[in-house]
Amino acid sequence: MAKINPEFTKELKSYGAFDVNACYNCGNCTAVCSLSDEENSFPRKMIRLSVLGLEEDIQMSLDPWLCYYCGECSTTCPRQAEPGELMMSLRRWLISKYDWTGLSGLLYKSFTASLTAFIILATGVLWFAAYQGFNPEKLLHYGHYFEMIAIAFVFAFILLPDIIRMWWFTFSKEHSKIPLSAYTKAIGDLFVHMFTQKRTLGCDDSQVRWFEHLILVFGYLLLLFTTVFLDWFGTNNTFVIALGYIESAIIFVVTFIFVLSRVKKEKEVSKHSHPSDWFFVIWLFLMGFTAFFVRLFIDINILNTNIWLYVLHLIVLVQWALLIVPFGKWTHFLYRSFAMYFIRVKSLNTK
Amino acid sequence: MKKKIGVYICHCGGNISDYVDVEQVRKAVENEPGVFLAKTTMFACADSNQKEMVEDIAAQHLDGVVVASCSPKLHLITFRAVTERAGLNKYNYVHANIREQVSWAHSDNKPGATEKAIRIVKSAIAKVNRSESLEPVKVSATKAVAVIGAGVAGMRAAIELAEAGSEVYLIEREHFVGGRVAQFDDLCVSTETGKTLVTRLYDEVMKHKHVTLFTGAEVIETSGSVGNFNLKVKVVPRYIELRCKEHQLQDAIDVCPVQVPDEFNFNITMRKAIYHNYPSEYPQLPAIDIKNCTRCGECEKVCENINFDQKTEYLNLKVGSILLATGFDPYEPKRGEFGYGEIENVVTLPQFKRIMHYSKDKLMYRGKQIKHIAYIYCVGSRQVDGENKYCSRYCCTATIHSAVTAKNKFKDIYNYHFNRGIRTYGKQEVLYDESSRKGDIYLQSFEDAPPVVEKKGDKTIVKITDILTNNKELEVEADLVVLVTGMVPRKENSIAGLLKVPKGRDNFFNEIHMKLRPVETVIDGITIAGASQGPKNIMESMNSALSAATKSFSIVNAGELALEPTVAKIDKENCEWCGKCDEACPYSAFTKIEYNGKFIAEVNETICKGCGMCLPVCDTNAIELIGFTDKEVESMIDALV
Ligand SMILES: Cc1cc2nc3c(=O)[nH]c(=O)nc-3n(C[C@H](O)[C@H](O)[C@H](O)COP(=O)(O)OP(=O)(O)OC[C@H]3O[C@@H](n4cnc5c(N)ncnc54)[C@H](O)[C@@H]3O)c2cc1C
Ligand code: SF4
Ligand code: SF4
Repeated sequence: MAKINPEFTKELKSYGAFDVNACYNCGNCTAVCSLSDEENSFPRKMIRLSVLGLEEDIQMSLDPWLCYYCGECSTTCPRQAEPGELMMSLRRWLISKYDWTGLSGLLYKSFTASLTAFIILATGVLWFAAYQGFNPEKLLHYGHYFEMIAIAFVFAFILLPDIIRMWWFTFSKEHSKIPLSAYTKAIGDLFVHMFTQKRTLGCDDSQVRWFEHLILVFGYLLLLFTTVFLDWFGTNNTFVIALGYIESAIIFVVTFIFVLSRVKKEKEVSKHSHPSDWFFVIWLFLMGFTAFFVRLFIDINILNTNIWLYVLHLIVLVQWALLIVPFGKWTHFLYRSFAMYFIRVKSLNTK
Repeated sequence: MKKKIGVYICHCGGNISDYVDVEQVRKAVENEPGVFLAKTTMFACADSNQKEMVEDIAAQHLDGVVVASCSPKLHLITFRAVTERAGLNKYNYVHANIREQVSWAHSDNKPGATEKAIRIVKSAIAKVNRSESLEPVKVSATKAVAVIGAGVAGMRAAIELAEAGSEVYLIEREHFVGGRVAQFDDLCVSTETGKTLVTRLYDEVMKHKHVTLFTGAEVIETSGSVGNFNLKVKVVPRYIELRCKEHQLQDAIDVCPVQVPDEFNFNITMRKAIYHNYPSEYPQLPAIDIKNCTRCGECEKVCENINFDQKTEYLNLKVGSILLATGFDPYEPKRGEFGYGEIENVVTLPQFKRIMHYSKDKLMYRGKQIKHIAYIYCVGSRQVDGENKYCSRYCCTATIHSAVTAKNKFKDIYNYHFNRGIRTYGKQEVLYDESSRKGDIYLQSFEDAPPVVEKKGDKTIVKITDILTNNKELEVEADLVVLVTGMVPRKENSIAGLLKVPKGRDNFFNEIHMKLRPVETVIDGITIAGASQGPKNIMESMNSALSAATKSFSIVNAGELALEPTVAKIDKENCEWCGKCDEACPYSAFTKIEYNGKFIAEVNETICKGCGMCLPVCDTNAIELIGFTDKEVESMIDALV
C-alpha cells in the first residue's frame, strides 16, 4: 500500500519539471516514444508516479535512464505536460538520490550554490597559483598530478559508492536473488553502452545527434588519456602532440555546435536548459579550447610569458573534475551505461 | 365497401424491389375488391409521386388509398397529408409496411418475401375497404397553465408562459422558492451564486401580473384532461402576517426553543420551528413549521405578527396544461456505504457545499481543520447492482468545481478525486483542466473494485486499486471524505401518481421520445421540465423549461384543440359495468355513469389514447376502437391467413 504525496511535484519542479499535474493519462507520450517498449513502458508511467509522489517506486526505476530526450513526447502531449522534461528532471532527481554526499541535489536545486562552488574552486586555484608564484613549471607539474589524483579520488570516493547506491535502490527488492553469473554475463552491455551510447540510435530523429555524441565521448576519453597518461603538455612526441590537438579541437567544435543549438532552442531537447546543462557544455568547450591553446602556447613558446592561460585552464579543469564530473551532468554518461547493464542483469535473471 | 381504392407499391429505390417483385404484387392486388388503380413507384415519398397521388385522388375521385412502402413511423403522416390535400378524409388512408416487415426481414427468400408482401397489401386493402371518415375530437382549452415546482426550471417556465400571454399558477410545496439551486452558493460554470440566480428569477416572476405564486402549496386532486384540467390545491399558511416588522421576526426566531435538523443545510445544522433558510430568502417572510411547532407561544410574546389562526386553504384551479418541474433529491447513501453514517468525517457533496459555506478562513468540520479531501465519485449513480444505472451528469463537474473553489478559498487544501472516469463534458472540461493543473490528484477504479473508506485509529484512510498506475494499491489519509452523490427522483412524488405521468426505468418522469419529443408526456397537456425528468444541470434545466413552456403554451393558446378520433367507444346496450376496462386503462379514461337504470362505462375522449388495452378485457365485447373496429381488424386477418 503506497501513500500518495502531492507535495512531490513541487520538489520536482526545482529539478526542472514543468506542469506535470496537467497530465490526464492519455498515454500519447508513451505511444509516440520510439524507445519505450512493453517491458519498459515510459514516460507516462513515470509521470503518474511523479504526480502521485511515489518516491520509492521512482527511486527503483531505471526508466529515466532509458530516455534520450528526443522530445517527441513533449511535442505530442496534448496538455503541454512536458513529459520529456519530466524524464530529464527525474534523472537529476535520481542522481541526487544516488549521490551519498547530497551535493548533487544541492547544486541542482540551487543556482547560487552552484555559483558559489565554482567561485570557491576558482579562488582556490588562483590562491594556489599565487602560492606557487605563478611558476609555469611547478604549475604544469601539479596540474598533471592533480588530474591523476582527481580521477582516482572522484572515482573511488564518489562515483563508485554512488553506483553501488544506484544498484541498491534498483534491486531493492531482489538484491540477494540475483546470481553472480547474471552480472558477469551482462558486463559486455555495460561497456558497449558506455562507449557507444548506441541506444540513442533507437530515437527516430537522432542519427546525427548520436554521431556527434559518439565523437564527443571518444574525443573526451582520448583527450583524458592523452593528457593524463601520455602527458600531452609535457611530451615531445609529435604524434601525441598532434593527437591532442585533434582531440581538443573536436571537443570544442562539437560543444560549440551544442551550445549554439541550446541558444537557438530549435530542437525540443534544447528548449528547456537547466543551469547544469549549460555548465556541462560550456565547461567541456572551455576544457577543449584552453587545452588546445595551452599546447599551442607551449609549441610557439609563449606560455611562460602567458601563464594566465594555464591558470585559466587549471581553473576550468578543477571545476570540471570536482563539480561537473562527480555531481553534474557528466554522471549521466555513467548512470545510463549502468542502467542498461542492470536492465540486462534483470532480464537475464527473469529468463 | 369502397369502389375506388388507389394502391401504390413502392420500390424504395431497390430497398424493397431488390427482394420483393413489386410488379407481381401489383398484379396480385389490382383485382382485389374495390381496387380501382394499382401502380408501382420508385419512391412513393418523392414530391413527384405525391403530386401524382393528389391528382389521381382528385381526378378519379378515389375513396380509399393504400401505400405499400416503409414503416408507418416514417411516412404515415406524409401520406395522410397527401389524401387530405386531395380532399379525401385522411382516415381513408391505410399504410402497408413491406420494407421493415418484408424486404429487409426476408432478404434471403425472395419468392417468400413477395408472397408476404402480397398478403400485407391485401390486408391493407381489406381494411381500407371498411374504413370510415373520421373527424377530430374538438375541445376548448383554458388559457392557463399550472407550473408545479418553483425551482429554477419552474420559475423560468412561468416567466416564459406569462410573457407569451398565458395565465400562470406557480405552485411550490415549500414556503420558499428556488429549489435546490438556492441551497448552493458557488455554482459552475458561471460565477453567479445560486442565490443570485434565484433572486433574479423571483424578481421577474413577481413582476408579472399573470403569474400567481402559491407557496406551501400542493396539488392534492386532479380531474379533467388536456385543455381543461381541474386541480385542487392545498395551501398551508405561514402563520405569520404579511408586512410584519423585521426585527420582531428575528426576535421571534431567536426565542423559539424548538431545534430540528435543518434540511436546507442537508442536516449538518439545526434550525428553529420558525425559520427562514437564509436572511434574504424569497418570499422574504419566515414561516412556522407547524409540524414541529410545540405551540409554546414564545414567539407570540415578542412578535405581534404571529397568527396561529391562519387556516389551511383549498383552491380549485382550472388550467389547459400542466408543466411539471418538481426537481430531484440528492441520493442519500445507505448507512455504511463508504462509511457514511458510521465514520464521522464522511459527508455528501451537498453537505460539503454547505460546510464550505459556513467555513470562513479555514475549512472546518466538527471543530477540525480540513486539508486533505477525498472525493468518491458516482455514489448512487452508475450502480452495477443497485437501481440507478444512469450517470447523474452534474456531479463530476460540480465536484471538481467545489474542489477548485475550496482550493481558492482556503489555504493548504489537497484534493484527491477517486473517480470512475471523469465526465466534465462540453465547456465544463476547462474546470477539469484547471483542477489538475492546480495539483488535484485523480485516481481511477472500475465499478467492480470501488475505493474503500476505513478508520485506522483516529485516521480516515481511503484506498484504491488505481487503474492509472498499473493497478497499484494506493492510499490517502483524508480529513474529509466527500461522497459525490447523484440525483434521484423526489422521494415525495405523489403528483406523478395523481396525473398518471409515466416514469422511466430510472423512475424520473418520462418523455414521449427522448430525441424528437423531449418535454411532452404521453398524457396530453402535461409537459415536464428540469431535473424532474432526469439529471440535468441548470443550463439544461433552463433549456427544457423553455421548451416545455413553449409546448404548454401552444396547447392553451390554440383555444380549441383537435384530438385524434381513434378512441374507444362503448356500446351502451351491451356494457354492464364490470369495471375491468377501468382497471386496464393506463390513463384513467373511464368513468362509471348511470344509463337506462344500469351502470355503464363512459370514455373521456380527451383522455383516451386509443391504446386498446381495454378491448380484450371486456367480457361482453362492448368496446370498439374507432379506426380499428372488429370488422376492420378481422377482415385484415382474413386477408393475411
Ligand atoms: C450538490 C449539487 C451541486 C450542483 N451544482 C451545480 C452547478 O454548479 N451548476 C449547475 O448548473 N447545476 C448544479 N447542480 C444541478 C442543479 O441543482 C439542478 O440543475 C437544478 O436544481 C434543477 O432545477 P429544477 O428546478 O429542475 O429542480 P429543483 O431545484 O429540485 O426545484 C424543484 C422545485 O419543485 C418543488 N417541488 C417538488 N415537488 C413538488 C410538488 N409536488 N408540488 C410543488 N412543488 C414541488 C421543490 O420544492 C423545488 O422548489 C447541482 C446539484 C447538486 C445536487
Ligand atoms: S501525452 Fe501528456 S497528457 Fe498524455 S499521458 Fe503523456 S504527459 Fe500525460
Ligand atoms: S457525472 Fe461523474 S460522478 Fe456523476 S454519475 Fe456521472 S460519472 Fe459519476
